[in-house]
Amino acid sequence: MSRTSRPGAPLPGPAVVVIAILLGAGVTAGLDLALLWWAALIIGVVAAFAFVFWTASGRTDDGDPGDDVDEKHTTLHKTLVLPAALVLSVLGGLLAAWALDLQLQEWAAALLGGAVGAGLAFLLIHRLSAMLALSFAAVFAAGIIATAVTAAVLFFSGIAPLSTFERMLEYGTRPNSMVQIINDSTTYYLAAVAVAIGFKMKLFNIGVDGQYRLAALLAAAVGGYLVLPPVISQFVVIVTAVAVGGVWAGIAGYLKVTRGVSEVIATIMLNSIATGITAYLLTEGRLAVEISTNNIGTPPIPESGWVPGIPATFLGSEREIFGLVFLAIAVGIGYWVMLNRTRFGFELRATGQSKTAAEASGVDVKKMIFLSMLFSGMVAGLVGLPQLLGSSHYYALDFPAGIGFVGIAIALLGRNHPVGIVFASLFWAFLNQAAGILPFDGIPQEIAVIAQATIVLTVVVVYEVVHRWGRRHQQQQVGRQLGRTTETTPEPATVSHGAGPEHGSAEGTEGGDGAHGTDGERGGEAK
Amino acid sequence: MSSTPSGGGSNGPAAVELRGITKRFPGVVANHDIDITVAPGTVHAIVGENGAGKSTLMKTLYGMHRPDEGQIRVKGVEVRFHSPSDAIKHGIGMVHQHFMLADNLTVLENVVLGAERRHGIGNKARERIRSLSAQYGLGVDPDRLMENLGIGDRQRVEILKVLYRGAETIILDEPTAVLVPQEVDELFANLRELKREGLTVIFISHKLDEVLSVADDITVIRRGTTVATADPRTTTARELATLMVGGELPVPELRESTVTDHVVLSLDGITVLSAEGRPVVDDVSVNIRRGEIVGIAGVEGNGQSELIEAIMGMRRLSSGRILLEEEDISTWSTLRIREAGVGYIPEDRHRHGVLLESPLWENRILGHQTKAPSVRGPWIDKAGARKDSERIVAEYDVRTPGIDVIADALSGGNQQKFIIGREMSGEPRFLVAAHPTRGVDVGAQSAIWKQLREARAEGLAVLLISADLDELIGMSDTLHVILRGRLVAEADPATVTPEQLGSAMTGAGLCGDEESETGANDGTDKEENEGGS
Repeated sequence: MSRTSRPGAPLPGPAVVVIAILLGAGVTAGLDLALLWWAALIIGVVAAFAFVFWTASGRTDDGDPGDDVDEKHTTLHKTLVLPAALVLSVLGGLLAAWALDLQLQEWAAALLGGAVGAGLAFLLIHRLSAMLALSFAAVFAAGIIATAVTAAVLFFSGIAPLSTFERMLEYGTRPNSMVQIINDSTTYYLAAVAVAIGFKMKLFNIGVDGQYRLAALLAAAVGGYLVLPPVISQFVVIVTAVAVGGVWAGIAGYLKVTRGVSEVIATIMLNSIATGITAYLLTEGRLAVEISTNNIGTPPIPESGWVPGIPATFLGSEREIFGLVFLAIAVGIGYWVMLNRTRFGFELRATGQSKTAAEASGVDVKKMIFLSMLFSGMVAGLVGLPQLLGSSHYYALDFPAGIGFVGIAIALLGRNHPVGIVFASLFWAFLNQAAGILPFDGIPQEIAVIAQATIVLTVVVVYEVVHRWGRRHQQQQVGRQLGRTTETTPEPATVSHGAGPEHGSAEGTEGGDGAHGTDGERGGEAK
Repeated sequence: MSSTPSGGGSNGPAAVELRGITKRFPGVVANHDIDITVAPGTVHAIVGENGAGKSTLMKTLYGMHRPDEGQIRVKGVEVRFHSPSDAIKHGIGMVHQHFMLADNLTVLENVVLGAERRHGIGNKARERIRSLSAQYGLGVDPDRLMENLGIGDRQRVEILKVLYRGAETIILDEPTAVLVPQEVDELFANLRELKREGLTVIFISHKLDEVLSVADDITVIRRGTTVATADPRTTTARELATLMVGGELPVPELRESTVTDHVVLSLDGITVLSAEGRPVVDDVSVNIRRGEIVGIAGVEGNGQSELIEAIMGMRRLSSGRILLEEEDISTWSTLRIREAGVGYIPEDRHRHGVLLESPLWENRILGHQTKAPSVRGPWIDKAGARKDSERIVAEYDVRTPGIDVIADALSGGNQQKFIIGREMSGEPRFLVAAHPTRGVDVGAQSAIWKQLREARAEGLAVLLISADLDELIGMSDTLHVILRGRLVAEADPATVTPEQLGSAMTGAGLCGDEESETGANDGTDKEENEGGS
């Protein structure tokens, strides 16, 4: 470390990156000889971080865009953003090393992990915004609270929390478990994105469950009865599922737009109706045939209509990962692009934030409600497909149900963010899978459910609190930077035609309260 | 009216005393150094322009928010209210401008709702309501269904609700705004009855003739602070108006006329109906020409909002036409109207103008989401939007650390400057400017006026709606007065005074109401002979 501390002349950005990465990797590799790989890696990344921070604080005046510079000097930045960046880069390095360890020698994995961590350190120190750091901090805090609550529950049930967690971690990271986790989370991810599209509009699509079950049934029937050439068959099945999901959610959207029916009520009702319809259709003589002695389902899709799995030998497992994991990735990217890069996405977010402002800006709010419900349903239609085309190949009585509700929780956990949802669904699937070992130790499996429920609750609450605090902080920050003049100017500055202050603020408070009310309410409902 | 005039009361401590009340909201000061003493057993009027800070003050007194500085004393004892229920405990009740009544319940149920502990919900409560009603001459029948009651009755139920909760001081927030003249007389009779029974009434209004007829004391609020107290017996409406409006504002001024003959927007007898089928905009006809600013003066709630919403395509017309350069846009969508070159500075920027939680550059796109530079086809042009946001920030002097700051972090004035910059981009033909300088500090105010003036010189046609009479008189080429949805008078901004305009707005009297009927379209400014009061 000391070897690089030559003072003075600002280094160019690329040089800093290279040095940081070399430093991280070098320190890790060197210490790896003496210490455990993970300890070496942590020290390596911290060293790189310190180096990057040292160079960054030396050259704040050039380089970064203006607002970053301003943020650099705040206490918020010092107390929150930097630690968050440090923790994230260390975690990133550890994760990378652990993943690489499956393929490479331990020392090589540690070395590369150190390099990744160092690169992250550079990126985060320079690019991590206060709001993002706040979000991470919120999730982190929520994670700690949820773990503590779960541990307390275990403790008072007379079970040792630490060994239980250890056991879950160990079982959850076994190769076969990991494949299962990836497969489950593929399904969860699609469901959560479907819910998130609605959430972005402040629409609550509870009906993802019914939508995907109906879509999967009809798609399975199409795939089973229509024998089509490969590729076309898969395509037709997928299109059928999308169409059915879209139509089913579209009914709720249509009712909301034309008749003002709450989408919550409508989708709950449509869930029940979907249950009825699937039960009606899934009888012998209609769509079902006998699958085994006590199971009936749609005729199995011929093998040419399957989506082949991805062999998971790189994880050390004999099982296969759903091929449709790529569909989920594509949906995630599409969701992000739609939301952030298209006019439609902008209008959707605008409507979600403020219906009145959207309306005044020429957004057709009713159209947006209908379309977002439709899109939500279309994505929901995909939920059953990884299972259908990748594993079971028919829709039977034992087709997984209830994923729609899991999707709601995961969307909340992932804050409706395409990447956040990835982590949330992986985490969710991990808990489900890892809890599988507990009955063998005589520990109730429901502990996973408790953990899941606690974490959703804490994330929603903590996130909201932190977010509100951060917003106020930002306001104060801007006010302090600019507002000195207005605050101190005498009488006239108290404002001309004071309607503004009075009006605006009253509005603000009301609006705020309203929004939080809804949030809380919705959070509650979700649980 | 045998009550104590201001300050002369010797019968015990003041019912309510406010000392040095200051209330700040992010970026603005809504109230400062407010001093009011309300003598017991009087009707105390608080008057001020729209948004002078009256409602903020009353919310403070009613415990809906806490003051940053200052003291509230009730009967000589200092109190701190954390919620309206604290205020009620100390005998302060409030009747809101918008009634808070459940239509499908009876009077009795409405009154006891939330106050079940006092007399239960049965006969005891019914008896109590009957006796209160008789004592104060309110004439309320506890068993009527609320939906069958008229506006005046509903207001009496609201008053009864407050009395039922044991209030001794009743705040009435703009109680006459929703009433027709006969109902106003009845209300005033009720208020005198309350006073005779020893209760104190705080009466908030900006209708000077009403204030003078009912109040015992008057406190005038201007720009967030108390500027004077007046005795209604020795004060005229004109003097009050002068106190309310003040005269020392930086006066907006238009140099020479840039009005042309080319009509940009023509309102042709447009009528808008409310949900109940009452006309809220009634047969309004105006022509707005290139380079002209047409001002609409009026007390808030006389159809201005509906008029704007009709022009912006957010509200259906029930009759009449809107022509934008010969093209009938009456049935166009808001988007199409905006695309056709109509800019819109909304009256309530938080509700209609910005996305508070989005960064400035995203707010640049709002309302212009089909046009360059923010958008290319179906895609958001992030670079273009950011660049243009930088331009607006620079040209319109928006004080912000950057364009990635969320709109909510800016002060109202800077938000407004950003909105104006946005609405002026893309070379609009016509601009709807509703309260463009509301809640904006003096510096920003003159900047906004300058921008409007320059745009006008370049040929922009502007419809200006404002509660600030100086602004209207200073900025308008033509000035109309709107009352109950009708354009009742046209004034020449060169000669009219705020006092004259003010009295015309409250319906007290600009003589020659008829001429607007015939003369709205020919554009000749007429000399108004001001009756005043």
